[in-house]
Amino acid sequence: MQLNREQEEMLEGRQGRGVQKAIEMLIAMGNAVGAEKMVRISYAHLMPPDLMFFPYGKQGKWAHEMTEELTQDIQGFKVATTIEPMFCDLCIARDLQYPDNQIGEMQKIQGEAIHFYEKMKVIPTYTAMPFLYYQTKLGQHVSIAESIATLWFNTMFGSRCERDDGITALSAAITGYVPLTGSHLEAYRHAEVVIKPGTAIDFNSFNDADWDAYSLAASRKCKEKRPAFLGIPSDIGLTALKHLLAVIAVESGLAVMHIVGLTPEAQTLQMALAGTEPLAEHVIGKKEMDEAYALANTSKDRNIAFVLLGCPHLTLREIRDLAEVLDGKKINKNVKLIAATTRLLLEQAEDMGFARVIRDAGGILTTDMCIAFAGSNVKGTIATNSIKAVFFYTGFCASAPNEVKFGSIKECGGAALTGRWEGRF
Amino acid sequence: MALYKGRSVAKMGVVEGEALVTKDLVAFWGGADWETGEIVEVGHDARGKNVAGKVLVFPIGKGGGGEAFGYYYLGRSGRAPKALVCNRSLGQTVAGALLVGTPMVYGFKEDVTAEIKTGDWVRVDTDRGQVEVLKKVGD
Repeated sequence: MQLNREQEEMLEGRQGRGVQKAIEMLIAMGNAVGAEKMVRISYAHLMPPDLMFFPYGKQGKWAHEMTEELTQDIQGFKVATTIEPMFCDLCIARDLQYPDNQIGEMQKIQGEAIHFYEKMKVIPTYTAMPFLYYQTKLGQHVSIAESIATLWFNTMFGSRCERDDGITALSAAITGYVPLTGSHLEAYRHAEVVIKPGTAIDFNSFNDADWDAYSLAASRKCKEKRPAFLGIPSDIGLTALKHLLAVIAVESGLAVMHIVGLTPEAQTLQMALAGTEPLAEHVIGKKEMDEAYALANTSKDRNIAFVLLGCPHLTLREIRDLAEVLDGKKINKNVKLIAATTRLLLEQAEDMGFARVIRDAGGILTTDMCIAFAGSNVKGTIATNSIKAVFFYTGFCASAPNEVKFGSIKECGGAALTGRWEGRF
Repeated sequence: MALYKGRSVAKMGVVEGEALVTKDLVAFWGGADWETGEIVEVGHDARGKNVAGKVLVFPIGKGGGGEAFGYYYLGRSGRAPKALVCNRSLGQTVAGALLVGTPMVYGFKEDVTAEIKTGDWVRVDTDRGQVEVLKKVGD
């Protein structure tokens, strides 16, 4: 790979061992994927392992070991940075059934990570939706370690980023560069397949869960091929978009997709396809939607022990919908409801009275934490409005996987009040 | 025997092993258990199979942003595949392979998930960026 003078200086160690290690990692990544050179970035979204990936026990130690050398002597980042949620809000760790010794370890490992990154002047977003805080432009190169955020910056902003992992994004923030490869290049951005709604699909009647199901159904058809979505209403809101992008980001290997008539590189289908013929055209109808709902509802038991919401973090509309269901009522004594959002949205939810309604009902509305990991130690069926969360709740721990019910946020709120799942599936 | 030419993520020599082939995308963070190597994803065509010590043949990686960490934990648990062979490379899978030191070859003309069968004995040559089926299952 060709290096410029600045990159060679970093490689020689003139800016310290952390910078040297970071450029070494990027060169290894660049060589692995056949990049000819690096490209300068202007922004990075960080996913530090010791902040987020089970910061206790042996994996907590391993997480720290992965970044120790990179961060040992750096003085700051060369670009603006935002950051992923942390593993757990320690105030509610007991509600999530973690034993005290593990909470103590979290406090140390997660706490040290927070201290370090804030000292490095990361913008303390602690969310997988950094695009609510930091918007970039068409063609701008960035580095993002987070599946929905990668897909959002590429798709919605037309910015350029690969599916970077946490180490690559950290190395990118330390050096200001990434390998010029994949979705950074025009040749790997155009749509390859077309996704169309069947005649039974009415997007105007979709709730939050329906968008998740549509996204899962689409991802099972297109797999790793970049899709162009046809027929999506051009006035689609933030909540629907979050659900549409979050699921397919996890369920496929995609860095970029297109929504015809909406996203900057897809004003028309022809533009999205960039002169190529689509490899396939997939129709998502009622059958595919039902299959998606059936896959996401793994539990036969309709008694709900936990309602976990906010993967990715709840939008203001979702918080409002939840507050509407809970208003003036009490959550069932056998159920814990925990909902996570961003700091800015929590402030708005406070101002609009939604936060108080949720708390008065006995629910917990928190910020900064990753709700996808909140199921890892709990016993009993979990209800959620996120198929991304279903993937993680059912995926951690082969010996005792969580059982899950999936439906709209209103159905989840209803289950919190009665302790019973009344959804269709 | 059949030979498939691709490119390797790094020169890590030659390894041989039994193929575990899936047509579904593979996630190592949430999709497979990092302590056992078992594929746990609901609806996955290889659910219940174990990736440890296998030459894992799959279309491409998928999953959340934590993929590379999941793979690293799998490696530290001693349950990583012997080699990764895939049609397309996902950045997060590549990073995981580099962190753990797993040989990985990708980017073939053919669809390797159709060509190679579970149980085939496969040689993965990272120095030449190629994969060879030495013995078909049932031969």
